[in-house]
Amino acid sequence: MFNSLRMSMGWVHTWMGLVLGFVLMICFFFGALSVFDREIDRWAIPDTRFEPQPMPSFDEVLKPVYEQLRPDPVDMAATERRVVGSLPDPETLELESLFAYTTHRDPVLLIGGEFAIPNEPIDPTDDHQHVHGRATVNPATGELLNDDALKIGSDWFYPMHFSLNFNWMMLGYWIVGLAALVMLAGLVSGVIIHRKIFREFFTFRPWKNLFRSSLDLHNMTGVVALPFHFFFAFTALVIFASNIYLPVTHTTLKPLHEHHEKLEAARTGLPHEPAGVPAPLASVDAMVAEAKRRWAQRDMAGEVGFLSMNHLGDENGYVSIYRAGSDRVALVGEGIHFKASTGEVIREEPPRSAVSSIDEFLTGLHLQHFEHWMLRWLYVFGGLLGAVCIATGFVLFVEKRKARHAKTGSQGSRIVDALAVTTVTGMVLAAVGMLVANRLLPADLPGKGQWEQIAFWSVWALAFLHAAWRSSPVAKARHNPAWREQSLLLGLLSLSAVGLNWITTGDHLIKTVFTDTYWAVAGVDLSLIATALIAFFAAARLRAPVSEQKADNALSRNKQVNAYD
Amino acid sequence: MTETIWLIAAVTAALLSMSWLALAYESHWQQVFPESGTLPNRRRLKLSAWVFLLLSAVFCLNADHPSMAVLVWVMLLAVAAFSVAMMLSHRPALLKIICLPLFAAKA
Amino acid sequence: MNSQAALQTTNRIIAAILGGYAFTWGFSVLGITSLVALGIDFHEAETGLSLIAFLVFLGLFLWAFAAKSMIRVWLVLAGGAAIMMLIGTVLQNSLLS
Repeated sequence: MFNSLRMSMGWVHTWMGLVLGFVLMICFFFGALSVFDREIDRWAIPDTRFEPQPMPSFDEVLKPVYEQLRPDPVDMAATERRVVGSLPDPETLELESLFAYTTHRDPVLLIGGEFAIPNEPIDPTDDHQHVHGRATVNPATGELLNDDALKIGSDWFYPMHFSLNFNWMMLGYWIVGLAALVMLAGLVSGVIIHRKIFREFFTFRPWKNLFRSSLDLHNMTGVVALPFHFFFAFTALVIFASNIYLPVTHTTLKPLHEHHEKLEAARTGLPHEPAGVPAPLASVDAMVAEAKRRWAQRDMAGEVGFLSMNHLGDENGYVSIYRAGSDRVALVGEGIHFKASTGEVIREEPPRSAVSSIDEFLTGLHLQHFEHWMLRWLYVFGGLLGAVCIATGFVLFVEKRKARHAKTGSQGSRIVDALAVTTVTGMVLAAVGMLVANRLLPADLPGKGQWEQIAFWSVWALAFLHAAWRSSPVAKARHNPAWREQSLLLGLLSLSAVGLNWITTGDHLIKTVFTDTYWAVAGVDLSLIATALIAFFAAARLRAPVSEQKADNALSRNKQVNAYD
Repeated sequence: MTETIWLIAAVTAALLSMSWLALAYESHWQQVFPESGTLPNRRRLKLSAWVFLLLSAVFCLNADHPSMAVLVWVMLLAVAAFSVAMMLSHRPALLKIICLPLFAAKA
Repeated sequence: MNSQAALQTTNRIIAAILGGYAFTWGFSVLGITSLVALGIDFHEAETGLSLIAFLVFLGLFLWAFAAKSMIRVWLVLAGGAAIMMLIGTVLQNSLLS
C-alpha cells in the first residue's frame, strides 16, 4: 500500500494527525489553562479571593470539619447500584479514612474521606466498598465553603484536558489516550518525513502564501518545542498507565499484586486491614511537627501537602503525612507514617530508587506541583505552541486540497475547515464564554455550575454551527469568513469578561495589580486582555491579507530565505 | 532575589545564543544585514552561540534545584528560538542590537 | 480511495491500535512477572514497565503502517501478545505457589 517509509509516515502524520488533532487541540489548550487552574478558580469564585495558606492545625481546625463531612449524593447513588440491598441513611455512615490536600497556590483546602458501608457487593470481586465525600474548607476559619460553586479552573478546564469531561465508560480518557499516542506518532513521523529540521528552526515567512507560511509555523512550533510536546504526551500516558490505560496489575496480575500488598504491609508495618479494636486519636499536630522536623533534618524543610488517615478510630489506624512538592519537580512525597493512637513513627519512607525517581520526575514535570512562576508561564507557552502546531496542521490540510476539491466538487476541505474553526476560535470562545456566564449568573443561583457548563457547550455548539453555515467559500477554494468573525467576537467577549469582573466584584486591574495586589485575578484579567488583542490583530490580518506590493518588497528583502524552496 | 537575577541572566544568555545560532545561517544573516554582503565569520558565531547555550544552563542550575533547572532550561530554549524566529520575520533590525557584542569583539 | 485500499488501510489502523495494544499488554505482563521472578520489587517492576510500555506501543504503532507484510505484522502482534500473556500468567502462578 505504501511504497516507502516516508510515504507511510506521511499518511500516519496527515490522517491520524487530522482525526485526533481535534482532540489534541483540546488537550493542549485546556492543558495550558490548567497550569493556572487554581488562579482561574479564584477569578470564578470571588468569595475565595484570599491568600494561599499552609495546611491548618488538624486538632484545632480540621477535626471538627470532618464531623460535618457527608457522603456525596452522586456517589451514594452510584454505590447503591453496586451493592445488595439499600444503603443506610447517609447521616449514620461513619468515616473509615480521610484526607486533606493543599498546594502553595491554594487559598482553600480540599478535604475528603471514605464512609464505610455494611452492604455486600453484587460482584464478589468488587472490593471498592465505601462511599466518598468531599468538601472545600476555608483553612483560616474552618468553615465549609459552598461546594455548589463550580471550580471552573480545577474542576472543568483541568479535567477537560485529560477526559474531555466525557465520563461515560471513561470514554473521554481513552480518546485522549489515543490522541496522546498519535501525538507521539505524529512527532516521530514528522521528523522522518521532514529531513531538514534544524535548517528551518528559525524560519517563519508570513509574507509567503498561506500554505508556505503555515508550513513554516507548523515546522517551527513543532521543532522548537519538540521535547515539551514529546514529554507531555508521553507522561500523560504514564500518569494514567496503571489505573486506566494499562491496568495489568489490577487485572491480569491482580493475584500477584495482592500478594505483594500483604507482604509490603508486613514489611512496612502499615496495616492493610483494621484490627476491629476501637482506639483514640493522638495529637495530629504533634505528628505534623515531628514530620517537619525530620524533613528539615534531611535538608528538605517544607510544608504539609497531603495528610491522610486510614482505619479511623481503630487500633490499626495510621496517619500519613506528605511534604508539599514546591522546590522539586517530584510531587508530594517524603511520606512519614504515624500510629494514630499513640503518635509514634511507624515508618519513614526511604529515599526513592532510580526507577521511582525517574517516574516521579516524569509525572511531576507534567503535574507541576512546584513553586516556580516562570516555569509555569513557560509551560503555558509550550502548550500554546502545541496548539499552534496542530492548528497550522489543519490549515495545511485544507490549503493543500481545497483547490483540487473545488474542481472535483468534494466537500472534504470545507468540512475540515469548519471543524478547524470550531476547535480553534470556537474552543477559546467556549472557554471565555463560560467565564462571561460565570460573571453574569447570580452567585446564589442554585446549580450555577450546571448553567455554566451549559453555557460552555452552547457557545461551542453555536461556534460550530456558525463555522459550518459560513463554510461554503472553502468549497470554492476561498477562505471561510467564520475565522475572522469568530476572532472579532472572541476579542469582544474577552474584554467584556474583564469588564464584568470589575462590575460584579469591584476588582479592576489597577486594584489587583497596584493598590491591593492579587495576581491570581490580575493574571486572568491580563490574559483575557492579551487574548482580545491577539484576536483583534488576527481579525485585522484576516480582513486584509498581505498586499501584493508588500509581499513583493518582503520577497526581495528576503530573497535569500527563499533559497529553501 | 538572587534566583531572579540568575534567571534573568539565563533568559538573556538563551536569547543571545539562539540569535547567533540563527545568524550563523547565511539566509538569516541576509535578513538582518541585507547590505553587508556575506556572512563574516560563521564559526565564531556558532562557537559563541554554543558557549552561551551552556552558560544559560549553568545560570539555570544556579537558580534552582537541578531537576527543576533542566525543565526551565529546555523550555527557555524553545521560547528563545521562537522569539528569534518571530524577530527575524517581523523586526529583523532588532537582532542587530543583539549582534553588537560580536562586532565589539571583531573591532 | 477504492474499496481495496480502504480495506487495507482499515486493517493497518486496527493492527496499529488494537494489535499494538494487545502486544503492549502482553509485554507488560511478561515484563513485570519476569522482573519479580528475578527478585525485583513488584512496584518497581510495575513502574519500570509503565515507562517502557508506551515506547514499545509507539514503535509498534508506527511499524504497523511502515511494514511491507501485514501478515507478518499480525503474526508478531497477535502471536507475540498471546505467547507473552501465556508465559506471564504461568510465571505468575508459579510465583504465587
